Amino acid sequence: MTPTANDLLAGCIKTLAAPALPEDAGPFTTARMRTVALLNRMVALECAQGAAVRVAENAAIRALFAQAGPRYMELTQEAAAIGDGDYAIETLDAANARLRSLLINLHEKAERAGDGDLDRKLLKFYREMSERRELVLPAVKPA
Amino acid sequence: MTALAATEPFGQRLEAYLSKFWGETVKVRELARIPGGASRETYRFDAEVGGVSRGLILRRDPTGSLIDTDRQVEFLAYKSFHGIVPVPEPLVLERQGGVLERPFFIMSRVDGGKVASVMMTEPYGAHAGAIGEGLFSILGRIARSDPQPLPISGCFAAPALADCWREALDAWQAVIERDERHPQPIVRAAMRRLRRNPPKPAQKLSVVHGDYRSGNFLHDGQGRILAVLDWEMAHLGDPLEDLAWCFDPLWNHFDASRVAGTLSEDEAIAIWERESGLSVDREALAWWKLFSAVKGCAIWTTSAKEFVEGGHDLVLGFAGTYTARRHDRIMADRLAQLVEEGWS
Repeated sequence: MTPTANDLLAGCIKTLAAPALPEDAGPFTTARMRTVALLNRMVALECAQGAAVRVAENAAIRALFAQAGPRYMELTQEAAAIGDGDYAIETLDAANARLRSLLINLHEKAERAGDGDLDRKLLKFYREMSERRELVLPAVKPA
Repeated sequence: MTALAATEPFGQRLEAYLSKFWGETVKVRELARIPGGASRETYRFDAEVGGVSRGLILRRDPTGSLIDTDRQVEFLAYKSFHGIVPVPEPLVLERQGGVLERPFFIMSRVDGGKVASVMMTEPYGAHAGAIGEGLFSILGRIARSDPQPLPISGCFAAPALADCWREALDAWQAVIERDERHPQPIVRAAMRRLRRNPPKPAQKLSVVHGDYRSGNFLHDGQGRILAVLDWEMAHLGDPLEDLAWCFDPLWNHFDASRVAGTLSEDEAIAIWERESGLSVDREALAWWKLFSAVKGCAIWTTSAKEFVEGGHDLVLGFAGTYTARRHDRIMADRLAQLVEEGWS
């Protein structure tokens, strides 16, 4: 799992609170402050979208199972039983971990069964899932 | 080694070490840490010996790292290619750490160079073509070199040509399995597909830099590459591994029409083929491109784990989050495209 917003902020706090060493002054500290700024930007994106992204991903995985067909009934039933709880990020991540594990099993089974339709659906879903999770940061233009 | 304790200033401990190592009094001046990636702590300083000052770089093992690498490999890589391609001259290797607590090595400093940030658009401006010519010429020369007589070859057992891909994939898959903190269906699917659709055997065994890309070399701002850096992932393998890694969209500076922000892929391949004397099999290159995304995923997976469980190094936090997610998207797109093109 990529670090959570809490993890990222904890890293920033630890860095900013650490006593400065004389040899760190200059370019290293400048670069470190820039990284603190970037991480804070990522935290802002995660706070704004993190829960929605996880709810959407979990729902999409359940929908994939629902469409997968009777061959995968056992996995489908297991996936359907995994709820999003209180929608706290930690709860959503726990549900997401269980759903993703089942998804890996589903894809392996589909490949072994030569189920090309489901394989294509899963590959398409991976593109959507990774696009939804991507954090878009502003590129730096040359000075 | 010396009576200086770890609580003494870093510069004083370094002076003591170098004075003993060179058998002369050494003065360390202008010591400053510089941003140099998360795999090693990097410091610049001037060492004054007998009234003569020399610019040097010290690379020390960190407490947590993007990758678990042996500093001897990096040191011997510089030793192997010094005089063949532009690299700093390696000078001192300390494997125990001594007064600096953790292992380190020292090399000559190349002054006046710039390093492109991967977050930057058009980092080479009007000199992009010249940088591309240099970048892929150098990579071709690395690929062409016979690894057998080079010092670095003693660090590794040489894989069979037909096994280069498998050894590389096995190694990075093991990293993902060791460090994964959350199930990753995309990389799992990619690894299964890579095993079902292996590439042709390598044409020759080469030293693979391991992280050859935009952002890992110094350039003079006028189209000339001054030094290729960051050899810590060097190993023996298929030279297409480096080419594919350098072509990865992660390093294209947000310009899909140019590899590494320099030239078109076809132009880069032509330069590399001319310099290496090898030819690029496009199907094998496609395999190594997907492999590159898997390798990236492994590195970012370790970054995330180290960041959360280790020292909270912010570079690891950035790599384990932003870079990991961007590479996931690259991998998902590439995987779907290869299956559309007929991969089983």
